[in-house]
Amino acid sequence: MRRVPFYAAVIAISIAFLAPVISFMINAFAYRWFYPQLVPKEWSLQAWVRLKLIPRPGDRTLESFIDLWTGVPDVISALWLSLAIGTLVTGTSVIIGLPAARALGLYRFRGKKIVEFMIIAPTIVPPIAFSLGLNINFIRWDMALMNAGIPIDLAGSVFGVSLVHLVPVMPYVVLTLSGVFANYDADYEAQARSLGAPPWRIFWDVTLPAILPGLFVAALFAFLVSWSQYLLTFLIGQGRVVTLPALLFSAAGSGNNAMIAAISLVFIAPAILILLVTSRYLSGESSAAGGFGRV
Amino acid sequence: MISLKRTIQVALLSAVSAIGVHAHAESPPGYDSWDQVLEEARGQTVYWYMWGGSDAINGFVDTFYGDPLKEEYGINLERVPLAGTVDAVNQVISEKEAGADGDAGSVDMIWINGENFKTMQQAGLLYGPWAESIPNSALVDWGNPAINLDFGKPVEGMESPWSSAQFHFMYDSARLSDSELPRSYAELGDWIAANPGQFSYVAPGPGNFIGTRFVKQLMFELSGNHEQWVGPFNQELYDQWSMATWKELISWEPNLWREGNTYPESNADFKSLFANGEVEFAFTQSPAGAGPDIGAGVIAPTSRAFSFDNYMIGDFNYLAIPYNAPNKAAALVTANLVLRPDRQAAQVQPANGFCCGWAIDVSRVTDADQIAAIETAMMNLGDAAADPARLSGALVADIAGEYQNLIEEDWQKYVLRGEPLPE
Amino acid sequence: MKWERIRIAVMLAPTLLVISILFFGSLLYGFLQSLGYNPNIGATDINFDAYLRVMFSEEFSGRFWSGLTLSLWVAFCSTFVSAAIAIFVALLLRRTFFGKKLAVFFFQLNLPIPHLVIAVGMIMLFSQSGLVSRMLGELGLVTSPRDFPALTKDAYGIGIILAYIWKEVAFFGIIVLAILQSLGEDYEAVAQSLGANRWQRFRTVTLPLIMPGLMSASIIVFAFTFGSYEVPRILGVGYPKMLPVMSLDFFLNPDLNARAEGMALSMIIAFIVLVLIFIYMYITARTVRKD
Repeated sequence: MRRVPFYAAVIAISIAFLAPVISFMINAFAYRWFYPQLVPKEWSLQAWVRLKLIPRPGDRTLESFIDLWTGVPDVISALWLSLAIGTLVTGTSVIIGLPAARALGLYRFRGKKIVEFMIIAPTIVPPIAFSLGLNINFIRWDMALMNAGIPIDLAGSVFGVSLVHLVPVMPYVVLTLSGVFANYDADYEAQARSLGAPPWRIFWDVTLPAILPGLFVAALFAFLVSWSQYLLTFLIGQGRVVTLPALLFSAAGSGNNAMIAAISLVFIAPAILILLVTSRYLSGESSAAGGFGRV
Repeated sequence: MISLKRTIQVALLSAVSAIGVHAHAESPPGYDSWDQVLEEARGQTVYWYMWGGSDAINGFVDTFYGDPLKEEYGINLERVPLAGTVDAVNQVISEKEAGADGDAGSVDMIWINGENFKTMQQAGLLYGPWAESIPNSALVDWGNPAINLDFGKPVEGMESPWSSAQFHFMYDSARLSDSELPRSYAELGDWIAANPGQFSYVAPGPGNFIGTRFVKQLMFELSGNHEQWVGPFNQELYDQWSMATWKELISWEPNLWREGNTYPESNADFKSLFANGEVEFAFTQSPAGAGPDIGAGVIAPTSRAFSFDNYMIGDFNYLAIPYNAPNKAAALVTANLVLRPDRQAAQVQPANGFCCGWAIDVSRVTDADQIAAIETAMMNLGDAAADPARLSGALVADIAGEYQNLIEEDWQKYVLRGEPLPE
Repeated sequence: MKWERIRIAVMLAPTLLVISILFFGSLLYGFLQSLGYNPNIGATDINFDAYLRVMFSEEFSGRFWSGLTLSLWVAFCSTFVSAAIAIFVALLLRRTFFGKKLAVFFFQLNLPIPHLVIAVGMIMLFSQSGLVSRMLGELGLVTSPRDFPALTKDAYGIGIILAYIWKEVAFFGIIVLAILQSLGEDYEAVAQSLGANRWQRFRTVTLPLIMPGLMSASIIVFAFTFGSYEVPRILGVGYPKMLPVMSLDFFLNPDLNARAEGMALSMIIAFIVLVLIFIYMYITARTVRKD
């Protein structure tokens, strides 16, 4: 019987944690849900139709879905864009960060503390402090690039936004992976080398399998950090790079709760999926958990 | 002074005059002819920066402009949603600071009016004059001060009208009856005292011109005469009436929503307070009154619109092209399309989601099909609209842009932050 | 040996290059601009005018100090309350019980959900006409939205704090839970055998054990809640404004003509955060030495 209050507490707490997600689920399908209705009197898919996530009633054929999704309305294009940027940033950050993590995890060298400080710094300094300067810098660099005959836009472009996402993403990738390398035995590589294996084979057959789980977690965190960036995207993308958070922010000003909730659900779905996949890696590895702290 | 809906109705009843759409001799700067503009615009993408907070408006723009631009002119429309127009202005300022001149900018067109227009015009950030040299500008009544002055600032061809709007109120007919409605600020003050906690207004400030407008109108009523406010900025006049305005607003505070400690930060917030019964009135700018918001399901279907008997500000909003716009030709074609009578007729209909008033003088339209489109639109305003006679009777023009900044700053200082009023 | 050093340098170079150019470069550039240095418009003098104006001028000082107070208050409350709740829940969930996996999953659920989304959720839950207010209405505890306290978009930043609590409890939670589970219950069992009651066991055994992890998590949360933008933008009011929101408003609004002030404000935010972190590092370094 002592278990009853315990379970009551656990259930109450679980409901509290779930409350925001529950409220999205109700709001996204409610119509004219005004005070004091506790349960909506009218249910509707109108928010989803207006966001062009599903076709209008009476037109729910596979073709109309395909038309809709290839017609690139706001939410779908924002979803693709967020996915594309997230993937690009994840790939780049892992490629750039892997050697650095290896250096930090396997070697002792002079100035290591300073290097570590430099890599951690972007997680401590509030984004607003460097993003304002970055906003102007990018426009300046665009001018310089144009004068040099290189027609690449940084400000206002997907490329520029992806580049900037590297700043909050890199620290978590490097820290997570350097933790992996700290427990990694490089002797196996030496053995493989003595057997005459070429470098790429060593990486592919020896290094990669050993670090793969850590690499996987690092990549998912990198994706998630990029996925949830608003301020950097807004300031560097100049409103042109409309990712899901940018869309949600502008919808938040519209006062239409059904719409806001529907976008929120689309926005958090991949995040929850990532949590399901990574939750078993979470316990004990606090530098990885730090990745979530900035989301 | 234009009275939006009524003028149109009168104009339609009277014989349609024979002023045709004539080709202009002048062309927009940098072009020899309109044909050249059309030719250059083909294949361009126009980046249209506009406030993106209303999905209904976003959908309207994509459907009613995006599709014909693509099909008829070979232009791609990229709508860039903003949290506030000021973001686009800032963008162009940043570009100019960085030296991105010529066509090295990123903004092709901005939905603009008032203060933002003035900022850009004064900083030399606009392309033009072009507004009177696009073909459909012949349908615009450029002689009307409500059009050729934007918050008292001469337009001078640097922006072209898109639509019009007039401030008025909404109430819920299920909660209040018509006879209880205040018809002046004086009556509103009494209503607030009798119904504590049930009134508020949108905090005046950047991006919240509708709240500033609400305060301006009070200032007009207290001064007892709107005529004196028209014309260039007059500091003495402002000093004479502003303190009385702050005193009046402060005197309401104990009986306002949340005792006036905070105010709704946006019109959308304010509307949702209204929808949930936290406050009894909301603001609208649409000729269809509460119609568009009812259609979007954000307020109760029993909502209706009403107007005071005087001092309800109406104005036009515009499209401007930055000096460094990369696709000026496509922007010009878009601005011209917006004025086409069938597009204008589409925008006043609540069902289409945009629902602002006319920018053209419909009596100048001669084409029979276009006239039919206009007549149909007039029939469809819906019963959630305010009494049009009362509304047009109350219409006054907006005033010089300088007042807006002053009102916002002083309101935030004395009313919001509660700093003591100078003796 | 020399070759190895070059190798290490080459391995570190790409990461350091990205961070140096994009992060430190921009920080420096922003700092120079806040000092009035902008060679593009011919301003090469260095001065602290923008800082002085933000902090002490008649125009800005009222807003600045109220904003600073609010920022500190929000950051402190968010950190402290989240940590307290997280400890309580972690203690509850470390036992073995039926459905533990699910409960821990719910506990972590808000971890990957972006702050922006949680902020929006708080409005749906806690506004005066929100879900909680309607529940109380159903129970007859309130009769109109006006009876429900203003918890979102309020002058005391309660809505902001609530949003941070929802997010950071999960963050603190996994850290505390991980420590507790790696420690096991042996120490407490010893304490119990020595006759310590529940509270004493917590005070003298559990808390000191989780303290180091808790402190470093607290400093991360404090720095984050003090300097982030999205949540106060959505849940804040016009006055007082938290500093990051004020900074961006100054920077972006041409009417205010306060870009330099906006820059200065962002530097002040960063400076305060860095000072706090150095104090924390100094204190931990000392305690470690004492031990």
